[in-house]
Amino acid sequence: MTTVRIVLADDHTIMRHGLRLVLERQPDFAVVGEANNGREAIDIVVRENPDVAVIDIAMPLLNGIEAAKRIAEERVKTAVVILSMHSDESYILKALRAGARGYLLKDSAEIDLIQAIRAVSAGKAFFSPAVSSVLADDYLRQIQQQGVEDPYELLTARERELLQLIVELKSTKDIAGLLGISPRTIDTHRGNLMQKLNVHSIPELILYAMRKRLIS
Amino acid sequence: MKRLLFMGFGGLLLLLAFTGLNALSVLTRIQARNESIRKDYFNRDRILEQLRSDIYLSGTYVRDFLLERDPSLADAHRKELDDARLRIDANVSTYEGILRGEERLPFQRFTKELKAYFNSLRPALEWDATQRQALGYSFMKDSLLPRRMVIVQLADRISGVNQTQMDAGDKQVAILFAEFRRSLIVLLVLTLIGGTLLAGGSIYRILRLERESAQRFDEVEQARGALRHLSTRLIEVQESERRSLSRELHDEVGQSLSALLLGLGNVAAILPPETGGDARGQLNDLRGLAERTVAVVRDMSLLLRPSMLDDLGLIPAVQWQAREVSRTKNIAVHVQADALPEDIPDEYKTCTYRIVQEALHNVIRHAKAKSVRIHLGPHGNNLLLTIQDDGQGFIPEREKGVGLLGMEERVKHLHGSFHVDSSRGVGTLVRVELPLSKVDATVLT
Repeated sequence: MTTVRIVLADDHTIMRHGLRLVLERQPDFAVVGEANNGREAIDIVVRENPDVAVIDIAMPLLNGIEAAKRIAEERVKTAVVILSMHSDESYILKALRAGARGYLLKDSAEIDLIQAIRAVSAGKAFFSPAVSSVLADDYLRQIQQQGVEDPYELLTARERELLQLIVELKSTKDIAGLLGISPRTIDTHRGNLMQKLNVHSIPELILYAMRKRLIS
Repeated sequence: MKRLLFMGFGGLLLLLAFTGLNALSVLTRIQARNESIRKDYFNRDRILEQLRSDIYLSGTYVRDFLLERDPSLADAHRKELDDARLRIDANVSTYEGILRGEERLPFQRFTKELKAYFNSLRPALEWDATQRQALGYSFMKDSLLPRRMVIVQLADRISGVNQTQMDAGDKQVAILFAEFRRSLIVLLVLTLIGGTLLAGGSIYRILRLERESAQRFDEVEQARGALRHLSTRLIEVQESERRSLSRELHDEVGQSLSALLLGLGNVAAILPPETGGDARGQLNDLRGLAERTVAVVRDMSLLLRPSMLDDLGLIPAVQWQAREVSRTKNIAVHVQADALPEDIPDEYKTCTYRIVQEALHNVIRHAKAKSVRIHLGPHGNNLLLTIQDDGQGFIPEREKGVGLLGMEERVKHLHGSFHVDSSRGVGTLVRVELPLSKVDATVLT
């Protein structure tokens, strides 16, 4: 059984301590470093090259979003989970754009943390269920209130398959293998489906998938 | 001063009235005087003229009597003489009634001579025809004619006195005129001086009042400016208070509660398996309480000032607000936002956000709207914000509440424009433009 190596970054010591206690109950989890602010987090991640970094969104010196962005730029394998008190989608989009793969609400951390780390370390995305359900509800209500057609209905079966795989963060190569089509065709399909859904980036696509409950 | 002016104007008017009335009465008096003098003169002159002519005639009648041989014709002549005498006596007595000082002496001599004249005639009138023929001529030449001459000369003297008297009257009138002119000049000069003084006083007072009112206007303007400054300051203070409270609640209280939740979870996890249900139940209750408190604190913090405004910018904050209203009030709030410059100062972001918040608040409370469309984006050098609802509308001139005034105040402080367009049944449009080009200058001041 491989050990999942984890770095924790939060400026609240009690919070960090509590998280560590949660993680240490898992035999295959190892907390390899703790950071007090954004800059320290980057240093430790670069040094330790952990599987997962759990980073608080609001920290002194360098906030969690910036830290996530810099970590993504370092081309380390580390998957970033943003720890936040905000459930609004603007923050989620921001975190996704910064390259985070998970978004965890602090008040449900104790329950969701293990699941989040398992998901992102397996290459999937993870969002606190409270966040996902708010997004999905908002979307449903918006469709109803404004009486517009859900653009999902416009997608072909192949595009829907592709959407599912993209938001599960599968690589183009994996998708090509799974669907038995060429990467070039995948690019074409992806362009079409993003146009139909009126989204302009993968983070927005992921947000859309959350609204449609395609991912949890 | 005011009483003085009133009294002055009253006095001046009285003076003018007095001058006018005085002039009228004096003129009337002079005219009357003049007329009476002339009438008197002509009356006297006429009487004297009659006397003179009757005296002449009396001489003629006497002569005719003396030269007449026929006794009956002579009697007729004497009769004529008697008539003339009667007329003369009547005129003399009339003239005596209107006799004046200077005439008295010549008139006495005149009446004396007249009496003597008529007395001298008496013997001759008794003469018969032969006596008349013998003595008539010499009587006429030696007694009648010289006497008559004297009397007529006396009458002429009285006439002369009469003429002199009239001249004196004319002179008196002239003196009266001169006096009148003098008093008129004095009165006019007085009026002129009074009027000038009064005009000066009035001008001085008007200028002073003008100066005072300008001063008062300045004071009011200053006070208004101070008030505006104060209200701006209040908004700023309120905003900064809200921001720090919101941060404190979110970062400190919220984080601590989250840590508490986490700790409680950990406690539950490390409880020995044989721990009773009571302890676990207690722990669960505590977790429930902490969760609810976290939610309350987060809502309070967002209500005070949404963290998105500072963390993510204006558009995410507006979008969040729109979603909140959609979620809780069942009003479809649609936001269309075009990319805005990154460096919009805090004041402008806050102002725009608060207007959206207040406008949505109004929609919820009053409009009975089904949907709201918010548009936000650059417009030339300005930031343009429109909020349009499909509610019942209102009449802005009559029903402008404190909320709208507050929005307007905020916008004016940033030199922007604020319009509300609404009428019954067609919904409401709030349109705000904030000048972004002036941003630097405004922020520095």
